[in-house]
Amino acid sequence: MKDTLQAINQMQADGVIGPYAIGGAVGATFYLEPAATLDIDIFVSFEHHPGSSMITLAPIYDYLVKHGGQVEREHVVIAGWPVQFLPPGSPLEEEAIAAAIETDVDGLKTRVMTAEHLLAIALKTGRTKDKIRITQFLESGVIDTAKLHQILSRHELLARWRAFKDKYLGDNA
Amino acid sequence: MQKFLGGKSESRKQLAALPFAQKLILLEKLRDRSLLIASSSLRQRRQDARRKPEC
Repeated sequence: MKDTLQAINQMQADGVIGPYAIGGAVGATFYLEPAATLDIDIFVSFEHHPGSSMITLAPIYDYLVKHGGQVEREHVVIAGWPVQFLPPGSPLEEEAIAAAIETDVDGLKTRVMTAEHLLAIALKTGRTKDKIRITQFLESGVIDTAKLHQILSRHELLARWRAFKDKYLGDNA
Repeated sequence: MQKFLGGKSESRKQLAALPFAQKLILLEKLRDRSLLIASSSLRQRRQDARRKPEC
């Protein structure tokens, strides 16, 4: 995976993508015990092209195919790992990219979303695996509750959070 | 049972405390295992059996 991250850093250095942040299961692994995943979710900032409101992933795919990547449905396989490049779908994801923390993998710099943003995105996405991840975050004690509430409040997710707590956490809420 | 659950919880904490680079290596191993299971002939046979229409 280090080679995959190195290739993504090179894309940023070459100006193909802007700042990025690792999200999803790989991002969560920064804080939690590793859990099986088949791909890497990379949230990327895009610069809007003048005169167009469309965000296109075409330059990323073109670049990667030129550099030996293989397109497999919504993924590009880079150094053996399927990578999904995700434009921010809402201000929450935009904020998550901006607030991502820098870390390193054996000397290689990379950026991972904060635990609170990962939890908020999981809450918003709401699949079964997201709900499991939320409980893992809560059990791990890595969540800054005040920071989480600010994020949930800013992105109008507090009602959903209350519903989640009532349904899944019961007395532990 | 309590001892077992406590041990599991401790093991999860230890895994969570590993450096990110080491966790990524574990992720690769987990992924390899998942892909191996997905490609096993036993799993294929079960999927084929599910696809067969009932007579």
